[in-house]
Amino acid sequence: MNEWIGVFKRGLSLDNPLVVLMIGLCPTLAVSTKLDGTFFLALSVLFVLTTSSVLISLLRSAIPELVRIPVFIVVIASFVTIVDLSLQAYLPDIYRFLGVWIPLIVVNCIILGRAEAFAYHNPPRLALADGLGMGLGFAGAILLLAAVRELIGSGQIVFLETTLIELPQWYRAPGVVMLFPGAFIVFGFIIAAISAINRRLYSRTTHPVPACTITEGGDVR
Amino acid sequence: MTELLTQFALLLVGGALVNNILLTRFVGLCPFFGVSGSMKASVGMAAAVVFVMMLASTATWIFWNWLLVPLGVGNFLYIPVFILVIASLVQFVELYLKKTTPALHRSLGIYLPLITTNCAVLATATESVRPGFFKLNIEYTFTFPETIVYTLGVALGFGFALISFAALRERLDVAPVPAFMKGAPISFITAGLLSFGYVGLAGLFGL
Repeated sequence: MNEWIGVFKRGLSLDNPLVVLMIGLCPTLAVSTKLDGTFFLALSVLFVLTTSSVLISLLRSAIPELVRIPVFIVVIASFVTIVDLSLQAYLPDIYRFLGVWIPLIVVNCIILGRAEAFAYHNPPRLALADGLGMGLGFAGAILLLAAVRELIGSGQIVFLETTLIELPQWYRAPGVVMLFPGAFIVFGFIIAAISAINRRLYSRTTHPVPACTITEGGDVR
Repeated sequence: MTELLTQFALLLVGGALVNNILLTRFVGLCPFFGVSGSMKASVGMAAAVVFVMMLASTATWIFWNWLLVPLGVGNFLYIPVFILVIASLVQFVELYLKKTTPALHRSLGIYLPLITTNCAVLATATESVRPGFFKLNIEYTFTFPETIVYTLGVALGFGFALISFAALRERLDVAPVPAFMKGAPISFITAGLLSFGYVGLAGLFGL
């Protein structure tokens, strides 16, 4: 059980996929203008990551080493199709907002990376912990970015037509935060803050330049 | 004829600059931050992306129009089919290059597997067959020449943005930057400033 919690906690703290490892950046920067849309993206990623991790872990003795990447991709693509069709059916507005980012979950390196680095070598019990931990770590970071951007950029946070926070009238929202350049700049400051905190707490320097690549041997890192 | 050429020119400029895939839409950011540390790697990556994107869009256009649409399964099979077509195509191309032109394989080869998991390729392929993807109500699909021109534009825009960012980062390495901003944070802010330039192009030629 301790091992399970250990694996679960890693994704939430020191191995956070977004702010420490810096993988899966594209959807993060692109959709984080609205908290509710971002919430459903995070939920979709959490679902796909957890289910595909568990399934790949269950199948791990049946998947030949040589064709493992295509097999991972097929498993991931099937779960993404489930999400794609469900959102289209039940939440059409959110689906329209997320647009191309739902099919692009397939090529999100967090998912393929965890399948390759963890789920393929570990039992389903631990793969579940890893999927949940990494998924929640991703969700936490992307929701933080979305909340900051929506609050600064529009002066209020709206979740499914309910206003959660509203800044006073005199606040003039700088619209640039909602635009594309704003995403880069806000994210830059957030990771700078987090790396400063990490250095204080764990005396650990973070931030090698992000890498989301498959090396020649086929390893995702 | 002129009308056709105008339309192609608009698709090219629209794909390359106005809707630059990296800096105004955030598709394909992983190689953007991953390889831009070195100028040489960026040029190689840009060339490989142009090559793979053209191939991938051609293949997915054929699969979509000749297989998925006639069978009526496009809407729920396109994700697995496209990603598998792209992944296997890249694999074949890599093997073929290795056998026939080792010199080209040495310069492009190491970037090819990376591109399989690059969202820019899948996004462009998806968009070419479902161009209304960003606005889901449009029922219009590109003809084959339109797909090719649009993909070429997107790929060139990708290469241009990547190489210009690599050039900026080479200067950034020697710039005096506060300690807490060093490395990734300052790169993001630089990318943000570069992105301002592209956002400024929005609305050019009514695109």
